[in-house]
Amino acid sequence: MSDDPSKEGPPGLEERVTTVGARPGDRIVRIVRPSGGEFRRRGGHYVATTDALTARGRFGRWFQTGRRVLLGARLTSEAETTERLSVKTGLAIMASDNISSSAYATEEAMRVLALAGAGALALTMPIAIAVCVVLAVVILSESRVIRAYPNGGGSYIVAKDNHGVIAGLVAASALLIDYVLTVAVSSAAGIAAISSFVPAIHDHRVLWALGLIALISLGNLRGIREAGVLFAAPTYIYIVSLFALIAVGIFKMATGDPIVPAVPPDPFDAFGVQALTPFLVLRAFASGSVGLTGSEAVANGVPNFKPPEPKNAVMTLVLMGTIFGTLFLGLTFLATTIGVQPDQGEIETVNSMLTRSIVGAGTPFYYVVQLSTAIILALAANTGFTGFPRLASVLAEDRFMPRQFAFRGERLAFSFGIIALALASMVVVGAFSGSVTKLVPLYTIGVFAAFTLSQSGLVRRWIRLRNKGWRTSVIINSFGTVVTGVVLAVVVVTKFTNGAWMVLVVMPVLVALLYGINRHYTRVADALTLERLDEPLPIMKPPVVLVPVARLDRSALQALSFARSISPTVRAVHIATTAESAKRFGERWIQFTREIPLDVIESPYRSLLQPLLRYIERIDERDDRPITIVLAEFVPRNWWEWILHSQTALRLKLALLFRPNTIVIDVPYHFADTGHTSRKDERD
Amino acid sequence: MPLAGTSVDPDVIRVAATLAKSNKAQVIAIHVIEVRWNLALDAVLDAETERGEQLLDEAAKVGTQAGVHIETELLQAREAAAAIIDTARERQADLIVLGMPFRKRLGRVYVGRTVTNVYVGAPCAVLAYRQEEVG
Repeated sequence: MSDDPSKEGPPGLEERVTTVGARPGDRIVRIVRPSGGEFRRRGGHYVATTDALTARGRFGRWFQTGRRVLLGARLTSEAETTERLSVKTGLAIMASDNISSSAYATEEAMRVLALAGAGALALTMPIAIAVCVVLAVVILSESRVIRAYPNGGGSYIVAKDNHGVIAGLVAASALLIDYVLTVAVSSAAGIAAISSFVPAIHDHRVLWALGLIALISLGNLRGIREAGVLFAAPTYIYIVSLFALIAVGIFKMATGDPIVPAVPPDPFDAFGVQALTPFLVLRAFASGSVGLTGSEAVANGVPNFKPPEPKNAVMTLVLMGTIFGTLFLGLTFLATTIGVQPDQGEIETVNSMLTRSIVGAGTPFYYVVQLSTAIILALAANTGFTGFPRLASVLAEDRFMPRQFAFRGERLAFSFGIIALALASMVVVGAFSGSVTKLVPLYTIGVFAAFTLSQSGLVRRWIRLRNKGWRTSVIINSFGTVVTGVVLAVVVVTKFTNGAWMVLVVMPVLVALLYGINRHYTRVADALTLERLDEPLPIMKPPVVLVPVARLDRSALQALSFARSISPTVRAVHIATTAESAKRFGERWIQFTREIPLDVIESPYRSLLQPLLRYIERIDERDDRPITIVLAEFVPRNWWEWILHSQTALRLKLALLFRPNTIVIDVPYHFADTGHTSRKDERD
Repeated sequence: MPLAGTSVDPDVIRVAATLAKSNKAQVIAIHVIEVRWNLALDAVLDAETERGEQLLDEAAKVGTQAGVHIETELLQAREAAAAIIDTARERQADLIVLGMPFRKRLGRVYVGRTVTNVYVGAPCAVLAYRQEEVG
């Protein structure tokens, strides 16, 4: 090794030391590896191991331990494929929103029809069939989206590819809003269902809903696979118990076992308060269409599935639709045949009354159905946590959302998206006092807007590509466009005054925001991108260096010696508060050095920062080279000692942060340092 | 304790660890990358270095499990035997534990060039551990 440090290359992680062997001519190269096992070689580069991520300080280690307990151990990027979902867990994690809709879709349609009297409830079954037809069209079309766009992104990608950026952003913002609302509505509905058993929590429902959102966020921060395992059991218990209920109901009816319909605590007027108009029927259809929400999550999250991703995603989608359709039609059939009517005061749900009618109140089966319904409603929020972060990551990859949304956390989950969704939905729950009734009108618009855009986008795609069987695809997706478009129009018209207008206001704002973010990134990329990689490094002249010196001490000495090492053009500046201290500092400076010129500025108003900033501006005007400010910063040994020091350097650094043409270099002087530069070292 | 990345390495580590534990001795595991003559001795050989690091890390891990701290050294030399002998001399080793994978050539157990040369030239005691017959 050379004695002259200037002749050596920069220090690397690995050092190669050549020694002479015992035999003449023998030499050995000893590879001195990075100590501590923090870095490991792999394929010509280094890989940071878990040791490199281990915090050094006590607080850091405590924080990491707490984090590991809450979120689990770190996962490497290679573990991404093992974090994927099978059809079984995929169904639980992505379909819980859609399947849980069967708990209230029948009731939502009935509540509208009941306004026209008990006789109008006979239309519930035809409406349920119509909703299932729409669902079948949506599933058929979504399966085509999955096959055409296996990298996920769903409606956003389809709309962007076929209708252009703005349509894509409309679809994206519609879905983002809808995911936030899914989480808000589901958590509020879940708490409402639980409060049916435990009325004491009703008064604090907002707090409970916030707690539930936090809990589901935590589950998702642990990674999608673990979240799937955590949330799978309640979904399957709900499915099995509801199927069992339908089977028991149909068996009783088939065997002639009489079923007495449970009477709602507060029934609707039997003769109705409104006429049975086509608009009312459309409203009932729009309300029943709430059952279609959540069906977009699978197409958006195709990459979450194990390979072959598209096949598994389509299978999950079909299973989801079949389960929802069967439950929805089965429950609607039983409710209308038995004669269960909705409760005006929303004290008891139609499903609860139906279960009571079939298996009796207070039976264990009744409690299993009600409890599993409450839990699946709460966990339906999980679909939002699968969809939002994935969509946000796709948008971030396309530079429409901040880049942070594309980063995966230590558990390979899109942590930023999960936290953003949790915060946004918490705000919504708080703003709407955790009321399901207030939140529901805002729901479904986003989903149907996205569906309509993606369906029409696919029509354009098939016409453009003209693949084999394109005519059939055009017919299916055109029908899908019309159906989802009509549902969207109906939902907008019928729910506009109930709060749907808010979504219609927020959506364009969000589109503008996403577009603005993309413009910013494009501008930055234009400014930063290298046109050629073989361009020679620009040769810069040594900069003009200014060193603000508060007092002549070791910290200043270190900063000055560093400044002189990077440029011959160094100037020191001192702000004095009195004429006497200015004179005294000047005299001491002459004793100290004559090599570095000093400007002393007297500030009679005792302001330090402003005169210094003005001085830097004036110096900068006189030279076109970037001005470099070298700051001497004293770093105390303990964090609490910071408050004992004025931290002028820190304030100056902040003030210069956004100043153009300015380089700020911090030269920290650690109190515990023993290797400081002394005058003796300087002279030597 | 030179390690070449053969199937005998785990046995050699265990033998060395057992001996070191009872004698409270220090164990140094080394791996020598033999550099061909057409390359500079200090040439950066990524694949070989990576492999060497992996097997030394593995040795250190096995040592830790056996309750012995194993120091590791990665070397590049023209001939492994000379590097092993020079390292033993420089580190004033009392014993070199060598591993011999069971290999046959022309119907006889084959002792490689490195083992033979270390046997002949080592400045200290040499313990050769031959793997039991396989197959």
